[in-house]
Amino acid sequence: MSLVLFVVVTMAFTGLALGLRARPRLATGIALIGLVTAIVVAVAIVPGQLTVVGGGALATSAYLRLFLIFGSVIGLALAVSGLAGGSRRDAPTVTLGILASVGLTLGLLDPRAAVLVATAGGLFGVLVTLVPNGGRAGATIGIRESRAVAVAGALAIAATAWFGRDLSGLTAQPVVFGLAYLGFAVAVALRFGAIPFHLWAARLADVVPETALPNLTAYAPASHALGALAWIDLSVAPIAQDLGPDRLVVIAIAVASIVLAAVAAFVQDDIEHILGYSIIGDAGVVILALAAIGPDTWGPTRTWILAFVIARSAFAAWVAGVRAGFWTGRVADLRGWALRSPLLTVAFGLVVVASVGFPGLAAFDARTEIVQGALTGPLTPVVLVATLAPIAYYGRLLVIGFLRPDRVLEPVDAWRPVVKPLDLTAVRPWLSTTWDANRAFSTGAIALVLAVMALATAGGAFGGPAAAAEGPPVLASPHPLGAPSASSAPVAPGAPATSGAPPSETAVPQPSAEPSGTSSTNPSADPTETPFVAPSATPAGPTASGSIATPTPVPSVGQ
Amino acid sequence: MNPALAGVALAVAVGALVAGSARNARTAILGLVVTMVAAPVLADPLPGSLGLAARLVAAILAGYLLWVATRGPRLRTGGSLVGWPTDAFLAAAAAVVGYGSHGLGAPAAGPALASAAGFALAALAIVPIVTGRDVLRVGLGLGLLISGALLVRTGVGGTPDALEELLTAGLVATLGGTVAILALTARTDGRADFEMTAALPRLSSHATDRLPPGPR
Repeated sequence: MSLVLFVVVTMAFTGLALGLRARPRLATGIALIGLVTAIVVAVAIVPGQLTVVGGGALATSAYLRLFLIFGSVIGLALAVSGLAGGSRRDAPTVTLGILASVGLTLGLLDPRAAVLVATAGGLFGVLVTLVPNGGRAGATIGIRESRAVAVAGALAIAATAWFGRDLSGLTAQPVVFGLAYLGFAVAVALRFGAIPFHLWAARLADVVPETALPNLTAYAPASHALGALAWIDLSVAPIAQDLGPDRLVVIAIAVASIVLAAVAAFVQDDIEHILGYSIIGDAGVVILALAAIGPDTWGPTRTWILAFVIARSAFAAWVAGVRAGFWTGRVADLRGWALRSPLLTVAFGLVVVASVGFPGLAAFDARTEIVQGALTGPLTPVVLVATLAPIAYYGRLLVIGFLRPDRVLEPVDAWRPVVKPLDLTAVRPWLSTTWDANRAFSTGAIALVLAVMALATAGGAFGGPAAAAEGPPVLASPHPLGAPSASSAPVAPGAPATSGAPPSETAVPQPSAEPSGTSSTNPSADPTETPFVAPSATPAGPTASGSIATPTPVPSVGQ
Repeated sequence: MNPALAGVALAVAVGALVAGSARNARTAILGLVVTMVAAPVLADPLPGSLGLAARLVAAILAGYLLWVATRGPRLRTGGSLVGWPTDAFLAAAAAVVGYGSHGLGAPAAGPALASAAGFALAALAIVPIVTGRDVLRVGLGLGLLISGALLVRTGVGGTPDALEELLTAGLVATLGGTVAILALTARTDGRADFEMTAALPRLSSHATDRLPPGPR
């Protein structure tokens, strides 16, 4: 029920802010209140709950809770940063809408339903592309983004539909197995704007404020990727064996994104595009994880997604800070930025450490495990080195930051808080003056806070790796492969399974923090019960009691 | 074959054909609405009343929003580049493939006609999505594609449950609203068309509503 509350609250505030769109100040205020409320209700989410509603089911987990808390905090921070440095009036509202969709996407147990919400959330984000005085150009970029999101959605709907039925009647593994897997993986790549599907994402950086970019190209697609990951581990891995050519395509997309996005970021002239390509590069690692079919990369991938989303949001806050303080986004015009703004320099350093990392850091180790899990042979060290390529564009920014400034950038005190004595006879003007005088400081401070958060998450704080290692909750299914059944209502203990039944809630046992391959008492854990026997595979399956179960690990295909 | 379902499938396909080939913007929207209204009925058994009602309301709402966005005298969209007869043959061929490959390699839980209609819609959606040069035409193509995917989902997996129907309704309404607001925005420069532009906005304020105050 706690997740339902989160979704209802975020949707209500989204609707309210949308309704008041004609009054931007009021709408922004409502959206900010909504984001604060979202943090509160996200913290109140209780892991391990199951809510059955309308024939479907929503489940909560520690990871979902953490993902929504981070999303809400980041959303609020970036919204405030956008207000200080300049943003679009719809940005906070879109953030709220995306939070609602992410909550539903991660909570829904049926992947066929989850992909619908993920697609709707992506389409809602298009609202940020509406540019004042540039309507046609904004609409052009908006429809291109819509095209990417809708095509990705259609691929995901078809892929999940194919697996989401009783497959016990199969006598041979058709080629459609691989195509369905490839379809969902490509859908994720499309959502992230991975290379070679990156053109719309690159254009997006021209019209979307930097503070809204991570929401559209990192946070929302990350929920799609998390859904794909769970779907692959639960539905594809237990039955599909020969995915060689399909995996190769996914690996090619991932490696191209990792390498070429770093090159593209290095040669860009403005920091918004650097931000955009840096997100694509990190997303390449997520896509690579989809090629590592098996339980070994489940936890590391979810750890990486958490760290990547926060690190890129912190980078976006840094970009906003630079723009607010130096009035430019052109790299060539930023000579001396590091000398002028100690606040942004520290934030930048933390972002670099959080996103590139070093051995021992949870995010770094997770990325290494993903690469090693997906690749074999000489390509592994090459890609491992390629994941360090962001050092090049970070280094370029840092070198420029320490060059002698070639123009007067701003008064030195722009990076300190400026608070004049409070005039009780004119509080409103005082507030306005103080806000205006501290715009650069505010954006810098927010960048610093997010950078600290990013480093902490990359280091494994907040219980991220433990939450990430939890298996996905799955409902009992009458079908042998554990996939959601066609038209069947999920069965929760003590809950009626009829369509349209009133919401019922049942506390369910928390999934174990580690793969339960050895401890599972799953009756279908015997691989001989599946049509396609994978040697030593223990496919996920239904539990006898009809409760949420932890999937059992499956060895990676092709390893 | 259920004749009623066959009739609904035909309505879905004809609506999609009109949406993909008509040059009059509102005629094309009407075609899309027919497709989106008929699509949820192309299931066996029919969805529950709540889910069905949600789908119908969402389809009509999406159509209404698009209708509002195309206010004005004789607004035109791209239409088919190859003519509606060619589109019709394309859709028919795709429908045959969809019908013949029903289940896609495994036993299916839904009607074969849903798969056939889904394949037809997907085929009709390809041209506007890939070659569309105006916002509305691409948007109509996206509507057809999503409707096609949902029909394939019904054909393969059976009738969705109430929650999934509600979420589908949300997706359909969101898609309609998104395309409508983009189409409306494209016309804010006073031109009476939905053509895309290659020129990007180069705003001194970058991507913000207005320039933030300068440093003090």
